[in-house]
Amino acid sequence: MSEAAAIAAPARARVRSGAWLAPAMIVLCSLAAYCVAAAATHQTGQISVDGFVGLIQRTVALGIVALGQTLAILVGSIDLSVATLVSVGAVMASWMMQGQPDMMVPASLFVLALSALVGVANGLIVTQLRVNPLIATLGVGLVLQGILSASFQDFAGSVPKEFQIFAYGTVGPVTLSILLMFALALVEWLALSRTRFGAHVYATGGNPEGARLAGIKTARVVVLAHMLCSLAAGLTGLYLASRLRSGAPWVGRDGVYDLESIAVVVIGGTVLAGGKGGVWGTMSGVILFGCLDAIFTMAGVDAFIKQVLRGAIVVAAVAAYAYRTKGHVA
Amino acid sequence: MTAIGSAARFAPVRLLGRIHPSYAALLVLLIAIAFLTPNFLSPLGVMAFLRRGASLAIVSVGQLFVLSMGGFDLSVGSLITLAVMGSALMINNDPALTWHAIALVYLMGIGSGLFLGLVVSYLKVPSIIASLGALLSIKGVALAWSGGSPQGYLPDNFRQFGRVTYHDVPIIQVLPMSVVVLAVFVAICAWLFHGTTFGRLALIVGDNPRAADLAGVRVRLVRIVGFLVSAVSAVTAGILLGGFAGPAQDVGDGFELQAIAANVLGGTQLLGGRGSVAGVVAGSLTLTALFTVLNLIGLPKPLRDAVQGGILIAAVAYSVRRQGWEK
Amino acid sequence: MGAGLSMAEAAPRFEMRGIRRTFPGVVALDDVSFSCAAGEVHALCGENGAGKSTLIKVLGGVHQPDAGTILLDGKPVRLNHPLEARRHGISIIHQELSLLPERSVADNIYVGREPGRLGLLDRAAMRAGAETWLRRFGCRFGADAVAGSLSIAEQQVVEIAKALVFNARILVMDEPTAALDETETERLLALVRQLRAEGVAIVFISHRMRHLFAVADTITVLKDGKLVGTRPRGATSPEEIVRMMVGRELKDYYPARRARAPGAPVLTVAGGGNEWIEGIGFELYPGEIVAVAGLEGSGKAALGRAIFGAAPFSRGQMVVGGQAVRPNTPLDAIRLGIGYVSDDRKAEGLALRQSVLENALLAMRGIAAIFSRPGRTAPRGRGIDQLLREVDVRAAGYDQQIRLLSGGNQQKTVLARWLALAPRILVCAEPTRGIDVAAKAAIYRLLRAYADSGKAVLTITSDLPEAIGIADRLLVMHEGRLAGELPAGATEEDVVALAAGHQFEAAPA
Repeated sequence: MSEAAAIAAPARARVRSGAWLAPAMIVLCSLAAYCVAAAATHQTGQISVDGFVGLIQRTVALGIVALGQTLAILVGSIDLSVATLVSVGAVMASWMMQGQPDMMVPASLFVLALSALVGVANGLIVTQLRVNPLIATLGVGLVLQGILSASFQDFAGSVPKEFQIFAYGTVGPVTLSILLMFALALVEWLALSRTRFGAHVYATGGNPEGARLAGIKTARVVVLAHMLCSLAAGLTGLYLASRLRSGAPWVGRDGVYDLESIAVVVIGGTVLAGGKGGVWGTMSGVILFGCLDAIFTMAGVDAFIKQVLRGAIVVAAVAAYAYRTKGHVA
Repeated sequence: MTAIGSAARFAPVRLLGRIHPSYAALLVLLIAIAFLTPNFLSPLGVMAFLRRGASLAIVSVGQLFVLSMGGFDLSVGSLITLAVMGSALMINNDPALTWHAIALVYLMGIGSGLFLGLVVSYLKVPSIIASLGALLSIKGVALAWSGGSPQGYLPDNFRQFGRVTYHDVPIIQVLPMSVVVLAVFVAICAWLFHGTTFGRLALIVGDNPRAADLAGVRVRLVRIVGFLVSAVSAVTAGILLGGFAGPAQDVGDGFELQAIAANVLGGTQLLGGRGSVAGVVAGSLTLTALFTVLNLIGLPKPLRDAVQGGILIAAVAYSVRRQGWEK
Repeated sequence: MGAGLSMAEAAPRFEMRGIRRTFPGVVALDDVSFSCAAGEVHALCGENGAGKSTLIKVLGGVHQPDAGTILLDGKPVRLNHPLEARRHGISIIHQELSLLPERSVADNIYVGREPGRLGLLDRAAMRAGAETWLRRFGCRFGADAVAGSLSIAEQQVVEIAKALVFNARILVMDEPTAALDETETERLLALVRQLRAEGVAIVFISHRMRHLFAVADTITVLKDGKLVGTRPRGATSPEEIVRMMVGRELKDYYPARRARAPGAPVLTVAGGGNEWIEGIGFELYPGEIVAVAGLEGSGKAALGRAIFGAAPFSRGQMVVGGQAVRPNTPLDAIRLGIGYVSDDRKAEGLALRQSVLENALLAMRGIAAIFSRPGRTAPRGRGIDQLLREVDVRAAGYDQQIRLLSGGNQQKTVLARWLALAPRILVCAEPTRGIDVAAKAAIYRLLRAYADSGKAVLTITSDLPEAIGIADRLLVMHEGRLAGELPAGATEEDVVALAAGHQFEAAPA
């Protein structure tokens, strides 16, 4: 409203452009840092197709969760229950399969249906009970984690060999799971930019009251976004079960998928208040995190120190974006 | 006409409606505990209950300072762990080092609170992200320092804060030292929050930081002090817990969420602008009472977490409704 | 213009008959009838709390009337929900615009009505459609422009286009000119006339008589939830309308000026500049009210913020009370004895959920030692309660949350906040924006009394009659610079000429 701000933007209107530029820069810089680190630690073998595939492979779990988180944040909500849901997905999948190939499809469908249900619950608590989404999803996460930890103390069951194709199967030099992640990103990008649902997601996140008055059923959009976000977390659970051959009730928490997915979404330029941002930004954030992790590993950083650095990097990365914002944040 | 009459007649009922339900819940839970444990209603039982609830009450009151100004401090749980583990490692069962170690863990806490405050107010990182990052980092430091397993020992003169109970005290018969610590800490916080300019500014900053800034309020300073109080509360709680439970890597786990839950139960408004120390103390005791009851009826710990999650949602949903009525 | 003729022939596009609406304890509307024909601009005025917004909400389907009927094209309808009103072609443009600041103009115009099949968007159609609307309104920005980067006036055009995409045949505009300067207002009023010519029924709510009389065919006045009267424009005058609104003659709307004792300036700025303004030089004397006028974007708001240290000067000199100073934060400025009333009361002025008292005490709290006892006594020894009574803040109690007060009482509270510190310079940006006539007069009296007590007041205002009515001197800004200075008694034409950039010899060096 301030006139100063109005003048700050030059009199002529700004046109949206360069949506690709920032993500591309982040990806290029991350990969360059990765190569430099590999060269500096004399692990030039990492600068190869296999090296890069391995690098991306380690980001798949975070990537899929973050794609879901992007939707939740774009509608102006947030999801802190994803880490728990990843554990639930992984444990339920391996426990139901018990190494039986014929249980693969029913178990996977069950996990996805359960995830969708949790997402709908999240969405309804946020829209109908009007509970702050941070608290709502935190609470749902606590409930799920509590029930899961009470029921399972350790790795439960196992997945059949056939199911491991999901994580380890390859097409040429690239694994199926990497292709899946990029396919999901592409679909989500198309949905956000080319469909009415996408337009409603941005409208709901950008100005909920205005969107409602324009006839958009904003509650439905929020519930749908939460459902898709939870589905992505459930899918990640299936992927981890496939990769680890079994699920344990702490796999999600250990991956810190809640915090890290939020961090990569924000690094990717999506604003926490909603209504602005997109898929490719998130993917660039994912790749940045993957590179940093790889660099620490190559440099031989201790696992606990790595955790210290991870925390610091999350804060630093968000700070790099947040610093330019005018006004206050809490 | 008739409306006035009925309003007057039901005034006591309406007054009841204005009382926050967490007090009612606390009463019900305390009665339940009294039935489940016969000697609960003795001074001994009440003091044991307060001793159990002291650390949560302290962290919750600390959290109030950050919540009321519109932030979150999720780093307190790992700060508790760091305080306990760090003390154990530094003292290593040499009672002569206890006071040095306590001074050092307070310094660490102040450093962490200061850092968080600076990051939030100068780098403008949303506090939920900043403090989650701090949670990871501080936990990492604690684990790296101890090599990933509980090490070191805490001598008696450290553990006295959580363990020692004075006997033969008039009227109340027994007085655990942790209850004294709790009373002193709560008194200081009540003064800070309700008896100083800072407390009023905390609420205003939580309500509208821009307006506060344009009225000359040192918003950054207010925020930093808030994070400092929260960090100091975590270290204090850690020292009590170290005495109560001894060194372990997971002593502080979950405290950040319990503290937020206690605040929500105690009427603190998330995202700022409303809250009181008395409410938060009541809220934290309610939560402690609830855990006690769940424990007494034999619910495993993970399920207690689940119940806590449900309560968190219900309490916020209720306060949203309540605000709707007030309009 | 023939508008009056066509109005007489047409059946009303909508007619509200005998509308009554009560809220617990209040009769908000009592037997109010209101109608508007196709191709008519019907102005609705009244003080805050007169029932305007309730009436509009009944028309918009937000509230349902307890009694009375609404007829659209002669047929009775029930509007149970805003979306139902929308489907009937009723569009309300609120003061708080509902645009998506990060999205393009085309996205905004078609939000909720996106063209396409099977859930897929037809982006080409959206852009082409949006361009058509923008061309019709003579806009200089394109359909791909980001809405948030447009000026308020341009955003309003986007809102209107959005309403018309919804086939709005009834357009309600709530204070559309409140945030606009003169040229933008002219452009908007021209657009309103264009829409009238196209047969849209327009309800135009405004506090500004000049704008009402420039565009309205008919004027209806509400007071205390009752209809005072409806007049054709030609048969009434601004004086009559104000009398109808207030219920009495408003004498001494602008308080009388007093001769100022000569003395040293309390504020001198020389060559002041920053990102938004350049080469600012002027003096401010104790006992005077100086108004800064200028178009939106002329830098007048930036000047106020620079003096207050919210967006400080980066160049030039600033002297307060004989000492060279450079306030870099609001707190610096406050310590120098400068106060600032923001132009955006909700976003920058008030802590809405705190009490009237806490809001009034805020500036005192800001300079107090942080761990001091929170007092409620102003430095001059007067209690804040007394000060609030003096500025006549009306509340159920000073412990009441301030969001429950009217705009006028909120603004008086903000003034009390600064009066408590008794700053030697009080900068007021848009001190009467969005408040009713009686409260405006009260604010003018307060500012004049404050100046008479030997302090200096700098008001920054987009409301020309206000600037001329209240000021001892006028500073006019144009494109970030001071275009000139005018004495009291200058005419609106003088100010407009300077503000639009026409140089002439009125300004003494």
